[in-house]
Amino acid sequence: MSESSHITNAHATGVADSGRWSTKRIAVYALFVALTMVTSFIELPIFPAAPWLKYDPSGIVCLVAGFAFGPAAAAIVSVLGFIPHVFGDPWGSLMAVLVALALSVPASLIYRKVHTRKGATIGILVGAVCAIAIALLGNLVVTPIYAHMTVAQVAALIVPILLPFNVLKMAIHGVVTFLIYKPISNLLDKTGKTAK
Amino acid sequence: MIPNAGDGGASRPAVPGIRIPARSFRLPHIRLFPTSYSDNHRLFRQSLWMDTRIPMTDSSPITVTTTNRTDAADRFAAELHDVRFSYDDGASWALDGVDLDIRMGEHVAIVGANGSGKSTLGRLIAGLAAPDAGTVRLMGETVYSPDARADAEAYRHARHGIGAVFQNPEDQIVTTVTADDVAFGPENLGVPRERIGERVDRALAAVDMAGSAEADPTRMSGGQQQRVAIAGMLAMRPGMLVMDEPTAMLDVAARAEVMAVIDRLHAAGTTVVHITHGRDEADRADRIVVMEAGRIVRIESGHRGAGLIDTDRTNDTDRTNDTDRADTSRTDSAQSDSTLTDSAQSDSDRVDEAETPSDPIITVDHVSFAYPDGTPVIRDRSLTVNRGETVAIVGRNGCGKSTLARLLCALDVPAHGGISVDGIPVAVPRGPHRISRAAKRADLARLRRTVGYVMQHPERQLFADTVGEDVAYGPRNMGLSEADVADRVTESLRLLGIEHLADRSPFALSGGQQRLAAIAGILACRPKILIMDEPTSSLDERASARIHELLGTLRRQGVTVVLITHHADEMRLADRVIDLSEAFPSGGEPSDRRYRSDRHPRRSRVRSSFVAKLDPRVKMTTFLIMMFTAFAITTPAQLAVAAAIVLAILAAARLSPVKLLHTIRMFLALFAIMWVLNLCFTQSGTVLATIGPLPITDDGLWVATLYFCRLVLVIVLGAVILHTTTPTAMTDAFEALLRPLQRFGMHTDELALVMSLALRFIPTLTAETRSIIDAQSARGGSIETGSPAKRLRAAVAIIIPIFAGTLRHADNLSLALDARSYEGGAHRTHWHRLAVGWRDAALAAVCVLYVAAIALLPFVV
Repeated sequence: MSESSHITNAHATGVADSGRWSTKRIAVYALFVALTMVTSFIELPIFPAAPWLKYDPSGIVCLVAGFAFGPAAAAIVSVLGFIPHVFGDPWGSLMAVLVALALSVPASLIYRKVHTRKGATIGILVGAVCAIAIALLGNLVVTPIYAHMTVAQVAALIVPILLPFNVLKMAIHGVVTFLIYKPISNLLDKTGKTAK
Repeated sequence: MIPNAGDGGASRPAVPGIRIPARSFRLPHIRLFPTSYSDNHRLFRQSLWMDTRIPMTDSSPITVTTTNRTDAADRFAAELHDVRFSYDDGASWALDGVDLDIRMGEHVAIVGANGSGKSTLGRLIAGLAAPDAGTVRLMGETVYSPDARADAEAYRHARHGIGAVFQNPEDQIVTTVTADDVAFGPENLGVPRERIGERVDRALAAVDMAGSAEADPTRMSGGQQQRVAIAGMLAMRPGMLVMDEPTAMLDVAARAEVMAVIDRLHAAGTTVVHITHGRDEADRADRIVVMEAGRIVRIESGHRGAGLIDTDRTNDTDRTNDTDRADTSRTDSAQSDSTLTDSAQSDSDRVDEAETPSDPIITVDHVSFAYPDGTPVIRDRSLTVNRGETVAIVGRNGCGKSTLARLLCALDVPAHGGISVDGIPVAVPRGPHRISRAAKRADLARLRRTVGYVMQHPERQLFADTVGEDVAYGPRNMGLSEADVADRVTESLRLLGIEHLADRSPFALSGGQQRLAAIAGILACRPKILIMDEPTSSLDERASARIHELLGTLRRQGVTVVLITHHADEMRLADRVIDLSEAFPSGGEPSDRRYRSDRHPRRSRVRSSFVAKLDPRVKMTTFLIMMFTAFAITTPAQLAVAAAIVLAILAAARLSPVKLLHTIRMFLALFAIMWVLNLCFTQSGTVLATIGPLPITDDGLWVATLYFCRLVLVIVLGAVILHTTTPTAMTDAFEALLRPLQRFGMHTDELALVMSLALRFIPTLTAETRSIIDAQSARGGSIETGSPAKRLRAAVAIIIPIFAGTLRHADNLSLALDARSYEGGAHRTHWHRLAVGWRDAALAAVCVLYVAAIALLPFVV
C-alpha cells in the first residue's frame, strides 16, 4: 500500500516504517471517511421531477480520495464512509457503497495510469458510467424491498426518472471534482511539505 | 524515504555512561563506542512501569528519576546540537543551528513570533519529527545523528517517555468517552489491561477531571478538552511533556485551569517544555528560550532567577502559587478597568437609557436564544450599538457572545424578541409571547451587504488560488464591475497592509497573514457594520497589532464595530464594553456551554443495561442479521414475532421509547410518506374507500402498514445499537470481526482505528462545514440561488475550504497519534476485554428464534 505520493514524510522519525500504516495515513483516511459520512447526510433536491431523489456530495469526497491517495483509499473511503447508514437503511447503504466504489475506484485506477487532466477526465467519465449502471441495477433490486413495487414497475421508471437523475448527479460530482481537484492537490503538496 | 538506520547496535552512536561535550558530536570518533543500547532501554522501560515515578497527585511522594539514574547522560531530557530543519528542501531554514539542552525536571518556555521556528523545535524535542542536520538526544537516546540519521528504534523508545500536547484541543481527542480516550496511550504502550484502569483514574484525577470519566470529551469546553489531552499524556507516564501553545485557544478562566495543571506537574518532577506567546506564562518557567528566525537569540532565566533545577521544591510550589495569585489579580483589575468604561455594567437596560442620545444602528430587544437541545444561551437580553461606535462584547465562554454575533448576522433566529440592524428587521417579535420570526429573503440580502462578519478563525474560509482572487469573491458576488472589484481588492489589502501578498496562494501564508487576508476579504464588501469574533486569538503580537490598527482606521472611517474579545488591551480600544456573563450570575454554568453533567446519570443507566453489557461483536452481528432479514417479513404472524422481539430488546436496553422515537423522528416522517405512497399505489384487493380517483384497498392498507413496520423495526434496532455501544466498543468489535481478513493482507487494526477516528470527527466536520457555508453566504455566495455557473462557483468556494480543514485536522491528528505512541501491532493491549457471556448466548438464541420465525412461520400459519 504505497501508491500514494501525498502521504510521505521526509522528516520521518522512521517509527512508522514497519509494514504498517503510518499515523499520517491513518489520520488522512479517517478524516476523509468522516467527511464522506458528513456529506452523505446532506440532501439537496436537484431533480424537480422526482423530489424524493436527493443529491448528496459524498461521491466527490470518494473521487478526491482516489485521485489523491490511490484506488485503495478510494475503496476504503467508499466502504467505511457509508457504514453509519447501515444502522438506518441497511440495503440502501449497501447500494450506496457499490455506487461509490464503481465511481471512485475505476476513476482512480485510470488517473494513476494517466496522471494528467485528460486522465482525470477519462477517469471521471468511466467511473460515472460504471456508477450509473450500478445505481440502475441496484434500484431494480433494492426499490422492491422498500416499496411495494415489482422489478418491472421499477424498470419502467428508469428512462423517465432514474437515468436522468443519476446522470445529473454524476455530472455534478464530475464537474465539481474537476474544478476543485487542482487547488486541493496543491494543498496536499503543501501539507506533504509541512510534514516533510 | 530515509532508510531505516536501526540495523544493529554497531552503527549506533549512543554512548550511555559518557556525556560527550556538545561539539564533539560532529566528529566521527563517536563510533569508537559501539555500545549496546539495550540496557539503557530496559532501564527506561522499567521506569515507565513504576507507578511512583510521576506522582499523580499533590500528596504523592515526589521521586524524580533519581532512582534509576545510572549515568550522567540521563540527566538531560533533551539535547539538541547544531540542529537544522527545512520545510522546502533547504531553500529556507525553519531551524538554523539550534543548540539546546533541557535537564530532567526542568521547566523550559520557548517563546518567539509566528514563524520563528518554535513549534518546529517543539516537534523535534517531542521526537515527532527528525531534523535535516545536527544531533538530537532525547531521554538519553541518540535519535538523530549526522551519520546514522533518524534511528527509528531509538525514536520509538524515546517517544514512549515523552508526551506532547498541542494547540488545538479538539484534534487530540481520539474517541467519544473520556476514559477510553485517556486509555488510548497506555493501550498503545502495551500496558497490561488490568493496570490501565488505575492509570486512567490517576491521570484524570491529576487534571481535576475525575468526575468526567464517562463524559464525551468532544462536547466539553476547550479548557476541559485540553486537560483531557494532558491526562491522555499523563496516563503514559512521560518523563517530559512538550506543550505547543496549549492555552492559545482558551479563555482566561480555562487558561488558568491549564496553567495550574502544568505547574502542578512540574512541581511533581515532570520535565515541562512549554511553547507559548504569553509572557506571563513563560515567566513561570526556569528558563525562557527566545527564538527568532530559526535561531535561539537568547536564553533568559524565568521566575526563579538562576534557573538551577536543584532548588527546593516546596519553595517552588509557593512561588507558583504567588504567580497564580498575581495573575488572577492582574486579570481582575484589567476587567474592572474596562468595566469602568461602561457607565452601567450591572444592568444592560440602564445602559441603553444612559446612551440613548446618539443614533442606534443595532437594536437587540429582549432577545432569548437556546441551543436546539434546549440549553439556554441568551436570556432576555437587550442592548444597542450606536452608529460609528466600537463596542467590545466580553464575558466568559458560554455566555452567548458568539451566539449574539450569529443572531445579528441572521445565521440563527432567536426564540423570542426583536433584532434590527441599520433599519433591517433581522428578527421580528410576533404575538403576546414575542416569538421571533426570521428575516425575509430580501431583507437578508440587504443585511449581507450591510454587515461584515469575521467569525472565529476566518482564515478557514480561504479558498481561491491567490489572495487577490479570494478578496475579490465578495465584491464579485455583489455584481460589481471588474474595475470596481479590483479597486475594492487593492483598498482592503492596503487597509491590512498585505498588498504584497495579492498574488500569493492563501494556503502558502503564515497563520497571521492568512487571518489578515481573510479579514480583507470581508472588508472588501465595505460593510457599514463589522462584527469580529475574537479576531486576534492565537495570533502573535505583530499580527494582533495590525488588527488593532485596523480597528482605529475603521473607527475613523465611521464603521460600526462589534468586537468579541477576551483581551483587556482590546477592550481598551472600544468606546464601550458590554459584559454578557451578567445574564448568568455567578454560580451558574462554569465556563463551558457544551458540556452538560446532567447527561451522566441517564447515560450510565443505559450503559449498565443488559444490552449495553453484551459483547459488541455478538451484538453487532446479531442486530445486523435481524435488520437485514426484517425485509423478508410478509405475514402478520412474522411481524408480530419480530415486533415482540424488538420490543423486548428495547426494554432490555433500558432506553426510553419516547426519547428513542424522538431521535428517529426524521426517519419516521419519511416512512409515513412511504406509507401513503404504498397505500395509493397498491390497487389489488377489495376496495375499502376511494379518495378522488384513487381506490384504497385492503391489500394497500396491509402492504403499506407492513412496509412501514419493517422499516421501523430496522431503524429501532439500529438506534438501539448506536445508543448502547460506545465507539471504542464498536471499534474493538469491528477490529475483531475483521481480523480473519488479516490473512489476505488487510490492515484490519488500522482500518478499525480509521473507523473509530472517523466517527469521532463527524461532529467537528459537521460544525465546520456549517460555519464555512455561513461565512461564504455572508460574502454573498449561495448554492441555492442564481445561475448554475454562480451556484457552482459558490459550491467550489465552500468545498475547497472544507477539504483544507479536513487536511488540517488530519495533520494535527497524525501528530496526536504519534504523541500517544500509536504504532499498531500485536503488542497493543485493549482496556476493555471482549468476552462472550451468558447474555450473548441469550441474544444469539433470540436471533435464531427471530430468523427461524421469519423463515418458517409462512409454512406453519
